Amino acid sequence: MSIVEKYKKYRKAGYFDKFDYHWGMTIDLDRCTGCEACVVACTAENNLPIVGEENYRLKREIKWLRIERYWDGDYPDAKLNFIPILCQQCDQAPCETPCPVGATYHNQDGLNTQIYNRCIGTRTCAVYCPYEVRYFNWFTYKWDAPLEQQLNPDVSVREKGVMEKCTFCIQRIRDAKDTAKDEDRRRVRDGEVKPACVQSCATEALVFGDLNDPDAKVSKLYKDKRGYKVLEELNTAPSVVYLKKVKAHV
Amino acid sequence: MSISVLDALQPFKKAVFIGLFGLFGLVVGVWANTTYFSDKAPVQPINFSHQIHAGENEIPCMYCHAHAATSTSAGVPSVEKCMGCHKAIATDRPEIQKLTNYWNNREPIPWIKVHDVPDFVYFPHKRHIQAGLECQQCHGDVQNMAVVTRVSDLKMPFCVDCHTEREVEHGRDCWTCHK
Amino acid sequence: MSDINRRDFLKFVGAGGVGAGAGFYLADASKKTVEYLIPQVVPPEDYVPGVASWYNTVCTQCDAACGISVRTKEGRAKKIEGNANHPVNQGGLCARGQAGLNALYNPDRVRTPLLLEGGRYREISWDRALTELGRRISSLRIQNQIDKVSVLSNTQSGHIGELLDRFIQLLGTDHYAQYSVTAPHAIQEANRISFGEPTLPYYDIANADVVVSFGADYLGTWLSPVHYSKAYGKLRQGRDHRGTTVQFESRMSLTGANADEWHAPNPGSEGLLAMAMANVVSRSSAVADAGAWSQSLSAYAPSRVAEQIGIDADKIEAVANAFASGNGLALAGGSALAGTNGVAVQVAVNVLNYLGGAIGREGGVIFNSDGPASKAASFAQLTEFAQQLGDRGTEVLMLLDANPVYDLPQSAGFSAAIENVPFVVSVNSFLDESSAMADLVLPLDTYLEAWSDASPNPGVGFSVSSIAQPVVQRVFDTKSLGDIVLGLSAQIGSELPIELPWTSAEEYLRGVWLDNYLAAEPGGNEKSFETFWRSVLSAGVVGQRPASVGGANVSLNSSATSGMDFGVGDFSGSESERPFVFQPYESVMMGVGRTANSPWLQETPDPLTSIVYGSWVELNPATAKELGIREGDLLEVASDSGTLTAPAFLYPGIRPDVIAMPMGQGHTEYGRYAKDRGVSPTRILSDLTDSRTGALATAATRVSISKTGERHGLIKNDGITRTLGRQILGPHSGGH
Repeated sequence: MSIVEKYKKYRKAGYFDKFDYHWGMTIDLDRCTGCEACVVACTAENNLPIVGEENYRLKREIKWLRIERYWDGDYPDAKLNFIPILCQQCDQAPCETPCPVGATYHNQDGLNTQIYNRCIGTRTCAVYCPYEVRYFNWFTYKWDAPLEQQLNPDVSVREKGVMEKCTFCIQRIRDAKDTAKDEDRRRVRDGEVKPACVQSCATEALVFGDLNDPDAKVSKLYKDKRGYKVLEELNTAPSVVYLKKVKAHV
Repeated sequence: MSISVLDALQPFKKAVFIGLFGLFGLVVGVWANTTYFSDKAPVQPINFSHQIHAGENEIPCMYCHAHAATSTSAGVPSVEKCMGCHKAIATDRPEIQKLTNYWNNREPIPWIKVHDVPDFVYFPHKRHIQAGLECQQCHGDVQNMAVVTRVSDLKMPFCVDCHTEREVEHGRDCWTCHK
Repeated sequence: MSDINRRDFLKFVGAGGVGAGAGFYLADASKKTVEYLIPQVVPPEDYVPGVASWYNTVCTQCDAACGISVRTKEGRAKKIEGNANHPVNQGGLCARGQAGLNALYNPDRVRTPLLLEGGRYREISWDRALTELGRRISSLRIQNQIDKVSVLSNTQSGHIGELLDRFIQLLGTDHYAQYSVTAPHAIQEANRISFGEPTLPYYDIANADVVVSFGADYLGTWLSPVHYSKAYGKLRQGRDHRGTTVQFESRMSLTGANADEWHAPNPGSEGLLAMAMANVVSRSSAVADAGAWSQSLSAYAPSRVAEQIGIDADKIEAVANAFASGNGLALAGGSALAGTNGVAVQVAVNVLNYLGGAIGREGGVIFNSDGPASKAASFAQLTEFAQQLGDRGTEVLMLLDANPVYDLPQSAGFSAAIENVPFVVSVNSFLDESSAMADLVLPLDTYLEAWSDASPNPGVGFSVSSIAQPVVQRVFDTKSLGDIVLGLSAQIGSELPIELPWTSAEEYLRGVWLDNYLAAEPGGNEKSFETFWRSVLSAGVVGQRPASVGGANVSLNSSATSGMDFGVGDFSGSESERPFVFQPYESVMMGVGRTANSPWLQETPDPLTSIVYGSWVELNPATAKELGIREGDLLEVASDSGTLTAPAFLYPGIRPDVIAMPMGQGHTEYGRYAKDRGVSPTRILSDLTDSRTGALATAATRVSISKTGERHGLIKNDGITRTLGRQILGPHSGGH
């Protein structure tokens, strides 16, 4: 296969359907309360750095998952809406094409990867991402001893000049696949992988699973009539489906 | 009229020679370091011989490195495990007395790693053992080594070549090994 | 080359030498750094390197007592997750709970006992620390001056709390108090008046149809937020019909932001509002004495009180009718209970629940049969405690995990009182404001290193207990509260070591559990207890949901409302001089200040404003416009009790006559992440209290605000907080 053919093949949305998994997530905005528990869970699981007050002021914070707030109306009819925004693991990800070193690409599990030791920090991907979920390490951040003891050994600690973003907790996916193989199963069971954010969510707003499995909870919710994809009009084909908040009155 | 390059370089002859000598020195330096100061076979706190244990006495690898088939990490035997045999065996030898000292002081032995992959690599021993690989394929003929010496560099081509050859499923996807 | 002279020769040799050196160095630098492979000396049971072990224990970041599972690898705690088997949090865990690792591995923990000598702390051994303290106490005891030993503790629940009580009792001092800033005094007192049950009931939000909350931020900070969040998720989308929620509060809380309807009544008028709703509900109420109640509530018809409440009578009728027609459930908390009339508000809410048939019903209010009564001292009692420190000439003051200097307003008088005590001991994990004034600091374990046990309060409708076990070895030279109490009693001597014979908190705890086990299991013995103990440790919880959750049988006292004033509460400061009501609120991240030393939480945006690091003053955009205030303008907030300065934040979800501030920041000690960051609103609070409980009325202070002219940019995550037509929140009407 020539490079051009290969390129065409692997740029086609859903090419990985013939593989085992297509990881996806649904986020029910009617359940989400915006409490930020998932944000701290993500920070803890993925060794996100503590950037410090001054860097935060300069918008250098790193939060793979953030809650955005949108107000409707004014007092006394003001209404606040929350929406968690994380990497949408787009099928047709705009961030993948511009990377000069192929540090970000789509893998066979439908994941938008980020390979830290390949990344040279051009930050092009961050510019192309319409969801603004890619974060750059402006420094090699340190943890004041003994805080470094809480670092998760299953996740690399990134250094200066590297881009990073939500991985759908690839270490947990990998772990579940390992367990499945140890138990001689071909596939991971539904619900066996829970990214840190999904695990922590007290209202069960976040559901994660394999979209290739029609019986998975996530596949069913994916077809919910409240479902929509954020910035779908940009043709990014995200793997995250949001379920719209229900508006009700007494 | 012909112009000789050599003639033109004549005034720089000395500089070129100095450069050549420098370069030669550089090669000698690198050679000397890698030959006589190699980290392939570091000096360990106890002169432990795999040749005696795994070779002559034919102790299986996984008797000591017990977790290789079940964990990401093969595991290094606890001091207690060493003492399990050496309370009785060869207690008079100086190297064993070193071990006894560690045990009596309840101190761990600071072994130096011979085989090490960087922190950004996910390497599960169990996947490889369960796939039927022999320990020797990466670690060399340890059972014949009096001092363990690194035989493969464990750099990325070493891994990828094998993954390609054995047609490992998704064996060339970055996220299979990088974390 | 024959013309090589001596100088050139030296140059060549020199070049060769430098080259060789450089080559050697280069080759060396390209080598990996030496990595060690350190074995265990004696491996723990079932230890496998590279495989994570999970330990179940109990979270103490707030008072809800959620069950947690801590992932450890190679002996270090890596991640805290909710214990899926625990009925309180069912696997979920809030931001504060997750950040417990920051407490365990905090660089600013007290690492060894510290003794003040010549104005500086010196590190001393535990032996010396306990001997020193024991000597002082026992000599006072021998001189019959034990009442000069005073003990102030954070509320201690479970059997460790009982051990402490027993210790104090044996010691003989009567100057002993426990407190918690968030203790729900008003709910307990109102429930005593209304139902004869001075406890916290179980609020079954999951099965209610209409949840009406008067200021209770049950998704953020109220009582047991993770449990209620679980219930909320079920109420919204986890059952066949979606429940609705209505929130009445002057400043929109996290719960208010998620409510279907949010209304802002006049501050302090929540009691009237609940009575007005009760008036409507009583007309169609099915309870036996509805007629009598209807009569006694006639003065509270919505049309008559709507003006005082500041909400349209029609709206009150509509909410009340929805409450009455479905399974209604009313809750109160936050600023609604933090006025001078807090108990009255809760009594009114109890009446409303009663008339709506919510008491004892699924989807209503279910009283836990074994709910403990509160031990927490009120603000009035604490002020008295501080006063007593001087009056009785206290010689030794013990602060057990308590920080009254920060927690309470200046008017409580703690900092001055502590200053005058000759010997202050602080048992604490951190050098907080109170510990920094201590002569002896005893480093306390964090909850991830200590043995204790807990039953959640409020309970979940049935009996539940958990054992909290250490999940890692101690990071520093610290001890648990139980161990310190036992160690100290051994030093004090006399009958104490005989009465408290245990050598460790673990041994004590096992003993108590064994006794309870043998009492409950007639056929049990020590061997079967061992199995039971291990099963509780591994499950993290004991207590199963019965087939039907009944709860204690209670009914409303017919004279519950007699002599009670349901009018708008009192405020300190005149309305003309101080036009705004000041409402400090418990921060979702910082609570009331205990978690301010967590770098993760400092960097996690506040859910409602997205602000990180520091404090802010929330005011209505219309108010700000009128006063010419922009976001980030430094404001001076003045009450009759003091002033503070903090930057302004324009918040659309707040009444124009109210300003609000988050609690938890403004530490002057407490480690690098908390120190000198923001301000604490507590310091300008008046000393008004709830007349019936003596609890501090935190929402009863009036303030004035003025611009200082300076600016202090807020650090926040949000950019533009309007969708501006973008379909971020879903397709607009026409779609689904």
